[in-house]
Amino acid sequence: MNLILISVATMGGLGALFAFILSIANVKFKIEEDPKIEKILEALPGANCGGCGHASCRNYAEEIVKGNASINACVVGGESIAQGIAKIMGVELKSTEKKIAFVHCRAHNGEKMKKADYEGIKKCSAADMILGADLACCYGCLGYGDCEDACLFDAITMVKGLPEIDIVKCTGCGSCVKACPRNLISLEILNRDVQYKIACASLDKGKKAREICLKSCIGCGICERICPFDACHMINGLPYIDERNCQGCGVCAQKCPRDVIVEIGMNE
Amino acid sequence: MKIVLLFLSAALVNNFVLRYFLGICPFLGVTGRIESAVAMGFATTFVMTLTAAIIWFIDYFVLFPFHLFFLEYVAAILVIASLVQFLEMFIHKNSPTLYRALGIYLPLITTNCSIFFVALLIPLRGYNFIQSIIFGFGAGMGFTLVMFIMAGIREQLDFADVPKPLQGAPITLIIAGLLALAFMGFTGLISA
Repeated sequence: MNLILISVATMGGLGALFAFILSIANVKFKIEEDPKIEKILEALPGANCGGCGHASCRNYAEEIVKGNASINACVVGGESIAQGIAKIMGVELKSTEKKIAFVHCRAHNGEKMKKADYEGIKKCSAADMILGADLACCYGCLGYGDCEDACLFDAITMVKGLPEIDIVKCTGCGSCVKACPRNLISLEILNRDVQYKIACASLDKGKKAREICLKSCIGCGICERICPFDACHMINGLPYIDERNCQGCGVCAQKCPRDVIVEIGMNE
Repeated sequence: MKIVLLFLSAALVNNFVLRYFLGICPFLGVTGRIESAVAMGFATTFVMTLTAAIIWFIDYFVLFPFHLFFLEYVAAILVIASLVQFLEMFIHKNSPTLYRALGIYLPLITTNCSIFFVALLIPLRGYNFIQSIIFGFGAGMGFTLVMFIMAGIREQLDFADVPKPLQGAPITLIIAGLLALAFMGFTGLISA
């Protein structure tokens, strides 16, 4: 009986002592947190993709509450989530734009020439470090799928050595843009039904570009001459389509002898 | 000299992770990146050292005078749980980034068996106060060292061409086994 009493007393005493110390610590290390942060975090997708320019969804939520970030920066969630955040924050929402990733290369295996056999690490980042490994074109897609690995939404699949982007799944977070060592992927704003983009990044001279790749821009400039709206301009040997002037007629894509101007749009 | 030997014994020769296979949960779970692995190691070291000191006091001034040997386990759990709570508050306040990086593994230090092992071994081996602290600290540093080595290897492993069936946990366990073999080389250094 005595033993039971002593054990209860000692354990109770120790427990009370620790509880006392912890309660002091709790007051001393108390963290004031805005309940809105937790609410916004629940509304966000939670992919931590970094597309909004913040380190994580939580970080973004904190910045919104502080007033340093705009409520529609989440490219993944788009309009519906921005509206949810607007409700939590009690502000009005301006419209958001849908962005998708676009690959500036369209040469599949077989269409792009190899200059060597490559036995190294099967990653674009590694291959790019040794002068593009086996690929003859020093601008084109290496095809080891770093972008596929980086995609958090399963929107990229490698098809014959070229990433194919599912524009329905693509949220425009930009993870693949960062992953591509050759900067071949860019985010394009989809604001019309049909848009035309240049799917080649080669700055090589026409002769060399023609020799090493079947789907290469040779800088002929037909697109610039033929454009009825003065929207296509050659800059550094590559065409550049000015979205402000482009009407989406598609003449450039039809006339391109190398077939490197492609159509993107939501109505596919 | 004895103190140094005790430290080396706890840290290298009888390394908790690779010799006794204690604390495998954080060893496999948090060793993805060097920073978080080392942070986890130091957090564990902190809890281990303090546990060793506090448990020594409780053992020799509370439990043993009253012949309450059977309460050792309960007391150890109480001390460790309180310390981890304290540590969690401290880290949350001072380094929210680290707090998020450690995530679930921080409260899991509570159930880290290597710390419990320290608490139980101290009365068993009859260490005095200084020895207890050195033992706890040495064991913690050994744990940190192994976490660091493992995280370093796993960071390099990201670039290796691991066969598909071995990717993830299997290759990690194979590495753990090889590391344990390597650490057996310390056995000749000192005897326990």
